[in-house]
Amino acid sequence: MPSLSPTPWQGRLHLEFTHPSDKTILSRSEVQAPLKVQRPFYPEGAAVCHSVMLHTAGGIVGGDRLSCTTHLHPQAQVLVTTAAATKIYRSNGITAQQNTRISVAEAACLEWLPQETIVFDGAIYRQNLRVELAANATWIGWDITRLGRSARGEQFLSGEWRSRTEVWQGDRLLWVDPQYLIGGSEMLQSDPGLAGYPVIASFAFIKQPIPKELLEKVRGFSPIPPFPHLPVPASETGVTRLTSGLLCRYRGNSTSEARHWFIQVWQLLRHEYLGRSICIPRVWQM
Amino acid sequence: MNSVPMLHLLQLVSPALPVGAYSYSEGLETLVQSEQITDLITLEHWLTQELQYGAIRLESAVLMRIYRSAQANDRPKLSYWNQWLSAFRETEELREQSWQMGRSLSRLLQSLQPDLESSIAACEDPCNFVTAFALASVHWQIDCETAVLGYLHSWASNLVSAGVRLIPLGQTQGQHVLLNLYPQIEQTVNEVVTLADDELECCGWGLSIASMTHETLYSRLFRS
Repeated sequence: MPSLSPTPWQGRLHLEFTHPSDKTILSRSEVQAPLKVQRPFYPEGAAVCHSVMLHTAGGIVGGDRLSCTTHLHPQAQVLVTTAAATKIYRSNGITAQQNTRISVAEAACLEWLPQETIVFDGAIYRQNLRVELAANATWIGWDITRLGRSARGEQFLSGEWRSRTEVWQGDRLLWVDPQYLIGGSEMLQSDPGLAGYPVIASFAFIKQPIPKELLEKVRGFSPIPPFPHLPVPASETGVTRLTSGLLCRYRGNSTSEARHWFIQVWQLLRHEYLGRSICIPRVWQM
Repeated sequence: MNSVPMLHLLQLVSPALPVGAYSYSEGLETLVQSEQITDLITLEHWLTQELQYGAIRLESAVLMRIYRSAQANDRPKLSYWNQWLSAFRETEELREQSWQMGRSLSRLLQSLQPDLESSIAACEDPCNFVTAFALASVHWQIDCETAVLGYLHSWASNLVSAGVRLIPLGQTQGQHVLLNLYPQIEQTVNEVVTLADDELECCGWGLSIASMTHETLYSRLFRS
């Protein structure tokens, strides 16, 4: 039983990326188990550095404190993902916490696209994400969370899930997203909450206000149910403009459905704002 | 008995206050069209849940923070919480609603109480409705918790009235819904009084998606 893990982890990861002449390099990395980072790779050329984070202990248990900081120096172009889904195991009563702090300097761009998080029934989990953007910096990020191992019929009947995201541009708070869910409570089943769907996901692009035409294009994409024959209500989605960007929300049945929908949006935004096509990291195994 | 604050509160929460609240449904129009809200019971259920864990609960908590900042004349904090509200209102329509109503109320206040001008200017950004409401409450010496009760009452009665028009319901049924919300309104105020800043959290998936969808509805009576 993973929940009987004797000592909680205090994992740490610090990454820095610089951009000396047309190439983005991982100029500094400090790691402390169970967090690790793979050797960077360049599937789309030297300009964009792909970096894969790893959690070597298999999953997160009550009491774990993971802290991750990422700094992009001016002009660095980085895509960060994770090697596998993040699992949050049933807790022994203590909160597991993951704190992520990101800063992106002038004209740099971070694509923060971790694989999904699976929150087991009984998990007590809190994630904090703080993003600090310099003027003209870009952040594209998503979060895909499954509550309970729903593929095997598990529901999130007990436990707590909390997620706070703050995105700053200089000293301006652009977007704050403080979310929580209490396992087994009415908010999981009620329409104002999750309406019984096991998966929630968000995609954000933050840099500058976006034109209405682009919003309409994004609204033209819709999720494609991976198992259309299943007798479940169709997933629900929405798209809106943030003061300096775009936000997509999903509550539905499938993490891969959410990811495929987000990838369409990501592709459009990459074309529009980064002048390049998407490059699917191999670790996603799609 | 000093009845002046009470009279000011009644003015502030009156549907006759010219801030255009009646033109907003906060997602209800979408929910009625998609038949998630079809009658008195589903309307009351939606509003009760929103009060329990939705965005409106957090707005109440921030109203208290802005009230206290204004009382202490702490301008940076006032400006921070006003910015927080704009960053928290994530859909374009809900943000525009809050800014438009905030603009209307702050203009009105500047005309009624010119000495409020500097506090309103301290917001720097677009002034959210909650912010203007808090500034008026402090100025008119309405007690903080009473102001939040009043704010929630005007929120609820506005949405009940939107529901009455959209579903539609009879006026009497609407009054029943409102009356039934009172225990939850009271409970929400009692809860948010003690919330710490790191406990400001909500579960707003339904409202967020309904509001985003509203931006695309083909025919609309309401502006949110």
